[in-house]
Amino acid sequence: EDAERISSADVAVVEARRRLLEEWFAWRESIVQEVAEEREIYGLPADPAAELIKAKTSELSTDGEEQVIE
Amino acid sequence: MRPILLSGHERALTQIKYNRDGDLLFSVSKDQQICVWFAHNGERLGTYHGHQGAIWTIDVDPTSTILASGSADNTIRLWEIKTGRLLKTWDFPTAVKRVEFSEDGSKLLGVTEKRMGHLGTIVVLDIKLDVDAEQSDEKAMTIVCEDSKATVAGWSYLSKYIIAGHEDGSISQFDGKNGDLLYNIPIHELNQPITDLQWSHDRTYFITASKDKTSKLITAKDLEVLKTYPADTPLNSATITRKKDYVILGGGQAAMDVTTTSARQGKFEARFYHKIFESEIGRVRGHFGPLNTVAADPTGKSYASGGEDGYVRIHHFDKGYYDFMYEVERERQNKLNQQQQQQTVSA
Repeated sequence: EDAERISSADVAVVEARRRLLEEWFAWRESIVQEVAEEREIYGLPADPAAELIKAKTSELSTDGEEQVIE
Repeated sequence: MRPILLSGHERALTQIKYNRDGDLLFSVSKDQQICVWFAHNGERLGTYHGHQGAIWTIDVDPTSTILASGSADNTIRLWEIKTGRLLKTWDFPTAVKRVEFSEDGSKLLGVTEKRMGHLGTIVVLDIKLDVDAEQSDEKAMTIVCEDSKATVAGWSYLSKYIIAGHEDGSISQFDGKNGDLLYNIPIHELNQPITDLQWSHDRTYFITASKDKTSKLITAKDLEVLKTYPADTPLNSATITRKKDYVILGGGQAAMDVTTTSARQGKFEARFYHKIFESEIGRVRGHFGPLNTVAADPTGKSYASGGEDGYVRIHHFDKGYYDFMYEVERERQNKLNQQQQQQTVSA
């Protein structure tokens, strides 16, 4: 009887966690999509920091090439 | 999870910050020093000299080119990370308690202290992410906090909002472009100051820490409280981990506020909670005083804490940390793996 009680309590906890997990990922999916759409409207890159780093590295590599030419 | 102990500061740590790649850790302290360390081995790379007072805050731009710092000497300074060169100094009437770059590094906000004759403000500066460019002297915007001073603030996704945490325990949402106050909501217990505000990687939600002994996960868009993490001690800092759905809280009662010795026991620990389930999953001891600041490596490899004891501790996660999963998390992971397999098969 005790074991049954414990296991039903466990089931309730697991059910609650499953629900929390579903809620969380549903919210994440909706907000990620919403922000992606907003970025598109404003013509902004999906990952602004990645874009900046790309620009910085390409700038550095062109500098390097110029030095070679000189 | 063997810690690396960084001893380079002589007084209490105030803020620590990883760069985007997670290979560098920056730290500031009341000892007027800014230090930068290699995160993987704790070797000190260098220091940045110039501030004439306790340094309260620091931030790194997304390209790891420029460092911003705010100090009790009433200045915000910009530094070239690579060389340690001071690039710019802005003067304010009071101490600067918080600085933060926007997601694209084009703007920096600063939170200034309230003092006799001066209200607390949030200032916005335009930044050129170029070490040779002339930075503008002018403030792009000033938000005056008439009711309760801001203690912390940051930029949301798209720099759409400035979110501030206040001394009275409330959170404000300002328009990121014109500084209009959109919402102010009491989130933490009245008059229990908000001590930290750190973003999720995409800046759509953030975590707060408060002296009311709780930490909360809140959406940037609606200021909706998603999660609450209860602790048994006043909190100074909270951070969100990558790779795993955890949050890390740091706090502890300052020695001068402790009335009994027993109350001191076991409070100087970093506390791990499951971000989604809100349950505490573990603690990491080590500091001899309150944890003033915690930070999670953006690549998910480590976390670091800075203490009132003057030490920074970096902890690299081991396999057990990554492998640990709740039953329902494993269930979800398996389901996702199956879906992926089916997709590859049908493709």
